[in-house]
Amino acid sequence: MTKKSDISKTVSRRSILKAGALGTAAMSAPMFYAKNAWAESQIGNYPIEGDTVMLGFNVPQTGAYADEGADELRAYKLAVQHLNNGGGMLETMTPNKLTGAGILGKKVDFVVGDTQTKADAARTSARRMIERDKIIMLTGGSSSGIAIAQQYLASEMGIIFMAGLTHSNDTTGKDKRRYGFRHFFNAEMTGIALSPILADTYGKDRRAFHLTADYSWGHTQHDAMKRGTEAQGWTTVNNLMTPVGGPDFSQYLTAVLASDADVLVLNHYGKDMVNSLTQAVEFGMRELQKNGKTMEVVVPLFSRLMAQGAGSSAIQGVLGTTNWNWTLQDAGSKAFVEAFQAEYGFPPSMAAHTCYCQTLLYANACEVAGTFYPPEVIKALEGFEFDGMGNGPTLYRAEDHQCFKDILVVKGKSPTDKTGEFDLLEIVGTTPRDVVTYDASIFGGELGPYEPV
Amino acid sequence: MISLVSILKRFPLTIFALVVLSLPFWFPYIGGYVGLATKMTIWALFALGFDLLLGFTGYLSFGHAIFFGMSAYTTGLMFKHFSAEIIPAMIIAVIVGTLASVAVGYLTMKRSGIYFSILTLAFGEMLHSSALSTFGWFTGGENGLTLPDLRPVLFGIRMDGLTMYFVTAFFLIVGYYIAMRISKSPFGLILRAIKSNSQRLEYTGIDVQKYKLGAFVLSAVYASVAGSLMVVYEPYVGTEYLHWSTSGELVIMSVMGGLGTLIGPIIGAWFMLYFENVLSVPLGEEWLLVLGLIFMAVVIFLPGGFVDGVKKLYNKLTKNSADVEGK
Repeated sequence: MTKKSDISKTVSRRSILKAGALGTAAMSAPMFYAKNAWAESQIGNYPIEGDTVMLGFNVPQTGAYADEGADELRAYKLAVQHLNNGGGMLETMTPNKLTGAGILGKKVDFVVGDTQTKADAARTSARRMIERDKIIMLTGGSSSGIAIAQQYLASEMGIIFMAGLTHSNDTTGKDKRRYGFRHFFNAEMTGIALSPILADTYGKDRRAFHLTADYSWGHTQHDAMKRGTEAQGWTTVNNLMTPVGGPDFSQYLTAVLASDADVLVLNHYGKDMVNSLTQAVEFGMRELQKNGKTMEVVVPLFSRLMAQGAGSSAIQGVLGTTNWNWTLQDAGSKAFVEAFQAEYGFPPSMAAHTCYCQTLLYANACEVAGTFYPPEVIKALEGFEFDGMGNGPTLYRAEDHQCFKDILVVKGKSPTDKTGEFDLLEIVGTTPRDVVTYDASIFGGELGPYEPV
Repeated sequence: MISLVSILKRFPLTIFALVVLSLPFWFPYIGGYVGLATKMTIWALFALGFDLLLGFTGYLSFGHAIFFGMSAYTTGLMFKHFSAEIIPAMIIAVIVGTLASVAVGYLTMKRSGIYFSILTLAFGEMLHSSALSTFGWFTGGENGLTLPDLRPVLFGIRMDGLTMYFVTAFFLIVGYYIAMRISKSPFGLILRAIKSNSQRLEYTGIDVQKYKLGAFVLSAVYASVAGSLMVVYEPYVGTEYLHWSTSGELVIMSVMGGLGTLIGPIIGAWFMLYFENVLSVPLGEEWLLVLGLIFMAVVIFLPGGFVDGVKKLYNKLTKNSADVEGK
């Protein structure tokens, strides 16, 4: 409502800028882009007033995933610093149109919100940032339910949402949205990447018992692991749903002991995984003999933060998948880890990595599109193929806005193998991108229109 | 000062309506925005209805999220399967919420005190977990009920921004007027009598059970309207709407504002949401701690809530000024 007066105030400078931008766009872009550029209307917080562009970082500062949230925020702040002043992955990412002088000549600024690890609270704080602080892009969210809730809100309001830590298939599956993008991998990929390695390591005649976090992510994770391992010849004995944030898993673990299963699959994340794994160790499950084999524990989604929480004596030899690990030796990872460590004194987690990448990917897409106009930025991200960000060649698939890249299979290091406090995971295998790429249509869902209704 | 108070006492509804209707215009100056004003108004309505139960009869329900959530889900499902027009959706939602309250009230109101609180809590938890599991196929389960590309309308007018705010404000002002009338009516008097001594009331030949149930259903109607408005405001139903933490937040708001005063819980709701969404930002991750300290301070030093605090302050000021005048 105040926009009209602001525009008239700054009309001379704005009109020159606009004419210049449109002129270049019309000359360089193909015909259909030029046509769209002329039809650009007000969407979300576009057009941006002034010389700064505002990004919204909505992370859990309180609640079950607060540790991940704190690390995500560190990464976001670093990303803003690099966008404004250069450095970090700006030097390694290809193709790259970012110059280290903000986005499209505007200085990058940010606001922070607390999702409280609750969907409704996340939407409310997202709305504050959209309505009051005029953010052009929203990013964040640990936990899939919360990411999905924000993704719907962002799509309704015409704000691009770059999802942070969310591993459920639903985010880019049945709940995918035109305005939502995910760099992180998902449960389906975990199932495809991990199952063959499990069968190689533990044999093809194993009997698995699942404990599953009772929400969107847990359900899809269990489903993907069940399909993946059964295809390798395993039998799924049982699955028990456990409430999120429960401190005591002994009743479920007793059921595991009483069954004839010889593998325990923990579809848990964060503090849940730390608790359930620690308790499984206390129950003596790591030394137990069943069906003539040693009982094994599998944690499909593994992270360094969780490994740290459970301790290396509990996680040694436990197999899982991860999106990224700070010990990777490619140029992108090294640049990011170096910058992060210089700033904060310890290495980043995989949550920090994905959030950092997402911010840079959005910024780069704006530069590619030559505008902040959301439909054009979305088109620049759809089908974007890039490298040098720590995961090797990666594709942002246009059909479901999911990134496809090689998946890392990791194993917990034993106390004698680790070289430091943060060196907890050993990469035992990399499943190539072609293998984990699945058909975009298997989960259903609709992306919806480019311009919000 | 004194004349201001006398105006407030003579025209409480007019003053209230003026504050509510002007809120979106001055709210941005203290860090607010229209979306938050709308949410605050919806929660104010929820808390206002709750005061008719807890503040008047003294029955502490820990299950009011049942009616808020059920009505929210009904509204969402109506939007999804019937039409985006809000009138039929809201009517059906309030009917569902009210029927649920008759059933729950009938079963729980036979007990009082802690037993009543636990029973309502149990009902709430039962419903919450069944919405996630048994009924997950049509409630959307853990992801909440999402309504892609749906825009609620009233006679074709889109419900967003200021339009939505004024629709919500209309319900709050009407709700406040009704609550005030109830408060001054014989019905309101009996409700207060239940709080002070329900046994004695029963001996005078009054069917206490009926009145208790009446208060319970009435507060549930407010909760249903609020729950339904929540989905009109944002076409999405979060699973938290049914969760006990929603009921708990409602109790905290009411206690903070001042029970049995009607305006108190409204102020409590406004304060909580304002704190959670505006004041929390500079406080960072410590904001919950600060909120907890404020709540403790209120409960320890001001058992009557903010309203009590204002009253005490006012009495002190007038007494002092009278002293000065006397000298």
